[in-house]
Amino acid sequence: MLSTCNRTEIYFCTDSADESLATVKDVLIKYFDIDRKILEEYTYTFQDEPSYKHLFLVASGLDSMVVGEPQILGQVKDAYRMAAHSNTTGYLLNKLFHKTFNVAKRVRSETRIGYNPVSISSMAIELSKRIFGDLRNRKVLVIGAGEMSETALKHLKKEGLSDIFIINRTFGNAKKLAEDIAGIPYPFESMSDLLGQVDMVLASTGAEKPIIGSGLVLQIMKRRKNRPLFIVDIAVPRDVDPSVNDIENVYLYDIDDLKDLSQKHLSDRLKESERALSIVDGEVAAFSSWLRQSEKNPLIAYVIDKAEAIRAKEFRKASQKFKNADEETIKNIEALTRAIVNKLVHPHVTFIKQDSDREISETIKRLFTLDEEDEKDLDNRNEGQ
Amino acid sequence: MNVLIFYSALFCYLLSALSYLVYLIYNKKTVERAGHYALLAAFFIHLASVAFRYLQAGHTPITNMFESLSFFALCIAGFFLYLKRTYAINSLGCIVLPAVSLLLIWALAYPADIRPLPPVLKSLWLPVHTTFSFLGNAIFFVSFLVSIIYIIAEREIKRKKSFLFSARFPSLETLDSINYRCMSYGFPFLTVGIITGSIWAGFAWGSYWSWDPKETWSLITWIVYAILIHNRLAIGWRGRKTAYLMIAGFISILFTFFGVNFLIGGLHSYM
Repeated sequence: MLSTCNRTEIYFCTDSADESLATVKDVLIKYFDIDRKILEEYTYTFQDEPSYKHLFLVASGLDSMVVGEPQILGQVKDAYRMAAHSNTTGYLLNKLFHKTFNVAKRVRSETRIGYNPVSISSMAIELSKRIFGDLRNRKVLVIGAGEMSETALKHLKKEGLSDIFIINRTFGNAKKLAEDIAGIPYPFESMSDLLGQVDMVLASTGAEKPIIGSGLVLQIMKRRKNRPLFIVDIAVPRDVDPSVNDIENVYLYDIDDLKDLSQKHLSDRLKESERALSIVDGEVAAFSSWLRQSEKNPLIAYVIDKAEAIRAKEFRKASQKFKNADEETIKNIEALTRAIVNKLVHPHVTFIKQDSDREISETIKRLFTLDEEDEKDLDNRNEGQ
Repeated sequence: MNVLIFYSALFCYLLSALSYLVYLIYNKKTVERAGHYALLAAFFIHLASVAFRYLQAGHTPITNMFESLSFFALCIAGFFLYLKRTYAINSLGCIVLPAVSLLLIWALAYPADIRPLPPVLKSLWLPVHTTFSFLGNAIFFVSFLVSIIYIIAEREIKRKKSFLFSARFPSLETLDSINYRCMSYGFPFLTVGIITGSIWAGFAWGSYWSWDPKETWSLITWIVYAILIHNRLAIGWRGRKTAYLMIAGFISILFTFFGVNFLIGGLHSYM
């Protein structure tokens, strides 16, 4: 069972699909005490190929509201770990989920889908890293104790800030937020003092007019001996006068700047998602053919697996040498390796299929040098059937 | 023999430069490690080649264009290795190492044979004066590169449009603090270089300071860096302004070194 912010999914492996699906739904209806109609309205089901394609897409972040978000893979991993821990995953689900992690990893490393952040707070963090290196032992001043500050702060805190100063027109609210996130509340009047101490400012008050102008910042920069100051203004209307950005060593980003950047990064991700989809499609096809084989005979699947593992390993090794070749050539070479391996493996597979007294199978087993671990693997496969 | 060592050092530098360029694009840790070890190898082979030349020639091998460029490159590589220990500046390798490699290739354009030392250079001051001057210059060369990157990256962050440099190179504060460190190491070296030169001149030419073009320009360089230090410490200049001054200072160094040798001439033009 996989649960994320906007979905809950249940993966299971069964011999009789319709029956099991009905059982699962019954359990859900009973457990949550909901109407069948409502349940039907909000559920989707996948079977066979579409089902693992869906899982691959989910885990790679291609099915998320924010394309390419990285958290989802962690959630899938947690879900799997929990299920495996309580012994509810069989051979097939194990295989599928390990494959899934593999696919997600490939998508992440071979495309730039998760390269640039898109959420306001992660972009603010990214920018601060370009200015300061990291936020460890840095101080931040929060002006305005609204909801916006709270969400942003939760992200910021993970970066190891040493102090979070909070000021607000109504001191009580500053105090409340400070308690929630372990910050230090200050009266609003100490703003100019605090500005002299901190590295980063997060402004989000409901003020009608800017509360920080360039005159004030110029004064403060003198006191700071020009230590860089990064100001994030997520208030609408703005809390900080835009001209502040013109001051030396001050970097001001307001909500519009961040939104523009976010748009840009998001469209980069969408472009990358095309490439990610083709990776997923390739993996889906590979998994399907593996599945078809293993259904018939575990030894066949084993032989194909082993051959494919050798092929993939050798191809990876060799591909270092023709890194400079164009994509078309590399594709052709890979197809060639596949063709050779398939031709070599095919007679074995045919023999296993026709082998009634299992004599030839034994020989083939030995031919593919089964060691103890492989034997265990094969036993597992037999169980999984 | 010596040439062979020199070439293998150059080869390792090129290897390292290549690794760091690949690292910049693909950001793979293993590639960075490869670049790092290639650099280490290059540095020590290069050092050995300079030491070997010293033994062969019987005098400090900083007496002509080939030797100067080679020694300059050695100082840069050494200083970069030193900085790498404290700062996360791997990405700078893709600029520093090509520069070092180019300097060595350039050095090859000059005759590399060992010649007898001109009598005027025969002095204990030769190793002292040249080593300090070149170390200072090498440190300021690194800060020159760092400053250029700083200015581009800073502009990107201010303009908020593209982040080609700032996303790949060290943070602004890191670059700025490297600049600060370069300043606090480079300036003493430069100062000692000038003073020892002046003392040597007193012995060799009979006058400590004769306003020959090289002396004048090294004084100008010294003044530029002195202004830089003053502004940083007293007025609190940071970031872009210091980066611009660093660049100005290095242009002045370039002129001291090449401009005087090639264009003006004077007492110092041996090379």
